[in-house]
Amino acid sequence: MHWTLDQLKQELRSRKDVKGWIVTQEDLHRRERYFLLDQAKLATDQDREVHAQSVEVRLFVNIGKPGRQGEISKKIVHEKPIGPQLDSAIAAAKETDHEAWDLPTEFPKDVPDVKAADPKMVEDLNGAMESVTREIADAVATPRKTTFNSSELFMSVHERELHLSNGLVNRSKQTRMYVEAAYSFAKDGRSDEYLHTAWTVSPKDVSVTKLFAEASERAAISLDTKKPNTGKFPVLLDADVLAKLFNSTTFLLSSKSEYLDLPHKKPGDDFIPGASGDLITLTLDPSLEFGAVTTGIGDQGIVQKPLTLVEKNKVVTTAIDAQHGQYLKKKAGTYRGNVVLGGGQMDHNQLVQAAPKVLEILQFSGLFIQETSGTFSSEIRLARLHDHTNGTVSIIKGGSLSGSISENFKNAKFSKNRVKRSEFDYGVATGYYGPEFALLNDVSVVG
Amino acid sequence: MPTMNSEKTNRSQKRAGLSSDLETLRPKLLDVLGTLEANPEWYASVFFERKANQTFMANLKQTQLSDSVSAGAVLRIYDGYTLFEQATDQTDPASLLKEAKDLVARVKKSTPSGEKRIYKAPTWAERLATKTGKLDPELLEQIPAGASAKTPVHFGIAFREDPTAIPTDVRIGKLKETLERVKRLAPKASLTEKDLSYIAARQAIAVEESIFVDRESNLSQTLYRVSLTLILMSGAERAAARFGGLGGAEAAEVKDEKIVEMLEDLRCLKEAERLKPGKYTLLLGPTLSGVLAHEAFGHSQEADTCARGRSKAWELHKEGSKVGNDLATILNSPAVYKNATEEAAAWGSYFFDEEGWLAQEQVILDKGVLKPPMTNLTSALRLGIPRSSNGKRESWQNGVYTRQTNTYFSAGDKTFDELLGMIDYGFVAMNAAGGMEDPKGMGIQVGVQYLKEVKDGKYTGKVFKGPAGGDIQITGYVPDVLNSIVAKSKIEADKSGADTVKHPFNDCGGCGKYHKEIVYAGCGGPHMLLKDQILG
Repeated sequence: MHWTLDQLKQELRSRKDVKGWIVTQEDLHRRERYFLLDQAKLATDQDREVHAQSVEVRLFVNIGKPGRQGEISKKIVHEKPIGPQLDSAIAAAKETDHEAWDLPTEFPKDVPDVKAADPKMVEDLNGAMESVTREIADAVATPRKTTFNSSELFMSVHERELHLSNGLVNRSKQTRMYVEAAYSFAKDGRSDEYLHTAWTVSPKDVSVTKLFAEASERAAISLDTKKPNTGKFPVLLDADVLAKLFNSTTFLLSSKSEYLDLPHKKPGDDFIPGASGDLITLTLDPSLEFGAVTTGIGDQGIVQKPLTLVEKNKVVTTAIDAQHGQYLKKKAGTYRGNVVLGGGQMDHNQLVQAAPKVLEILQFSGLFIQETSGTFSSEIRLARLHDHTNGTVSIIKGGSLSGSISENFKNAKFSKNRVKRSEFDYGVATGYYGPEFALLNDVSVVG
Repeated sequence: MPTMNSEKTNRSQKRAGLSSDLETLRPKLLDVLGTLEANPEWYASVFFERKANQTFMANLKQTQLSDSVSAGAVLRIYDGYTLFEQATDQTDPASLLKEAKDLVARVKKSTPSGEKRIYKAPTWAERLATKTGKLDPELLEQIPAGASAKTPVHFGIAFREDPTAIPTDVRIGKLKETLERVKRLAPKASLTEKDLSYIAARQAIAVEESIFVDRESNLSQTLYRVSLTLILMSGAERAAARFGGLGGAEAAEVKDEKIVEMLEDLRCLKEAERLKPGKYTLLLGPTLSGVLAHEAFGHSQEADTCARGRSKAWELHKEGSKVGNDLATILNSPAVYKNATEEAAAWGSYFFDEEGWLAQEQVILDKGVLKPPMTNLTSALRLGIPRSSNGKRESWQNGVYTRQTNTYFSAGDKTFDELLGMIDYGFVAMNAAGGMEDPKGMGIQVGVQYLKEVKDGKYTGKVFKGPAGGDIQITGYVPDVLNSIVAKSKIEADKSGADTVKHPFNDCGGCGKYHKEIVYAGCGGPHMLLKDQILG
């Protein structure tokens, strides 16, 4: 290493053209194992360890225009001296042109102490890896009528330091675990599989035993299937889907969308126009224990606390960061957090019984959501059709479903039981704590 | 951007050289091999990667810039059972040696399980005596005659205008001009400037350098990845496209007619009706036929998925079953150094993969019959099939999987107008909206932004979105879909003569695997006419 963070900060302070900066350093330690069967025994195809550090500077420069400034986000590397790296960054930033804004001058007090890292993983990542590996080995060894195909286990510790030009220094840790199980089932020359995946911040929030058992159970029912009928049906969605859908709605509830003239909601708007089912209360909660987006402070130096954005279907405020708050002349506050939804009145059984026919989605193939319009669609990978007109439950595979949050959640009913979901797919963190199920009406399905 | 060396090609273009600091690093990577080969039965290699990305963005309110670099080395030992990797961004000799020793200790501590499969690195003579067809001349011409284990062999992407040499102010000025062009061209698509609530133009330039060394090879490559992404919005409707390829700055030039096409897409989305779900005749554009190829027998022809017992394709290949009609031929190739009629290489191209295997075209589905799948090192060994150049990772921090590069259907013999004329009633689909594979269940999902209605071989002027106002999904059972191909266009579908180029157009795309890791991928092919497609 050729320089330290203190030297970087000193160098930044010495540049007269730099009006502010945010330095983020992240140290990553990750372990990965890829399992499969070899000679009918659990074997490790790959075993990996990663150590990495990254330092990013977001710096703001004066560009000589009133009310405007320049900006760049730049990764600074340790192999090279700081000076020339900052010189080129500052020169490039001067070519950009933003409305000016400043980091908060008020130093944050009482930064909440949040739980974002599993202590055992932080203390001994390799030990935690061995522990979950044993759980996987036990789950694979459990006799089942299905065949175990493969599993992956990723565990990582992310140590972050945030340094702002206003003097703020914040250090935090986050842990992540990804585990998956794939089982297949063969009968009469046909076969199909079920891949079950889970992300979590703490291993204690995910049961490996349950994940493997459920993957096997769902693989076992994946052969005796039929396609759905074409039409509009009541559809039961689970928390995995709800987490994706409602995290996508935060796009409409952000000050950034408002500033850029992108589609957005304003305080006083109906979240779901004309809603008459269970009315949605949505909170951005950065304090959720072991949530994927659990943090005490945002990258712009603002304390992050739970903030209700939607109360009984009325938008009460939006997520406002320092930059866009100053542009829109609104007070900045919470802009990062896990999406927390209020629960409903019914349990799973009541929701399933709530209509003559209910299509319960067990897994979508690829759920694609347009966050600007709130529309979503996917092939149906596996579902149960509860047909109370003839008392049957049949398994559905294939066809597709198309929905719209604003249309299909109008009369939605939510389960009273709430669950946590975390996701870091493609490196993007989203957290959810809310109903385990929701029943939607009139969802378009084609078979 | 790093200091680059470059040399002239015989096409009077230049080639991207390896940065001088990496030339210095290269011998140090070789030094670690000895430590990694602590056991004579082990196969060791070192992969180093540096990706330097600059992204310039302009929208109606601001201009932005980000400049990032990620570099690290991956030390590998394959002990005959498991592939062990130690990845680090500390690449000074002392750190590399320490990481190598730690890795050796980890391998020695492990308990082997399964069948032992020893691997020996191929020599240059073995590499060049490939049994699966010739290497592309673009690649061959860069290999020195008589190359041996110690010969540093460098591959550089060809380019005309050096994309690393353009000053920031010029780039940003050009982006601002692009926004003005969009506004100026809006009336050509019957839109006004006021209809455009958001316009953004983003130019990205990445210098991707890698070095691979093992006992028999000492390879390096430098790729320039350039693109221009345009996002146009009108209220909640959005049209987006990425133009680019591997090569010089010329790869990201966008013609007015492309912008007008996007503006027309946006207008169509504003005016679209909702589709009644059902079965329809469908004419796919090149990007969508590529997504179909990628999701149908792209993913299921990835050998690591086969080795995990998670792909039906492996069973069907061994049985020799027919899974599509004679028009169903799918290829995968990282060696598309000229993308259809464009000057640049296709988005998913390179010269060697991240396990040091040279790029080569591979037929993965031949007239409806499955050929051996694409592989990475361990999956080739597990299945006992030839290696291919598909060992890819998201970055040096991620593990290798078998990944697709450019996946495309082979070209047909019709013009676009001839295909259109074959439709009594149906739709034309040009704009992709994602896709998903189902390797074991053989389902498929291909997303489409909107459909243009066709009656009696002519556009009616009507446009349709999905039943809920969003994307439309094409779904079905893969063999059914591949048996429903009626006809395919030539590569140059707007001309009546024979094709003058070798590869169909591959669009710029990304591919996620197992829901968490994304790599660059090209998707393409000809226009394809399919009957009885389930749309909803």
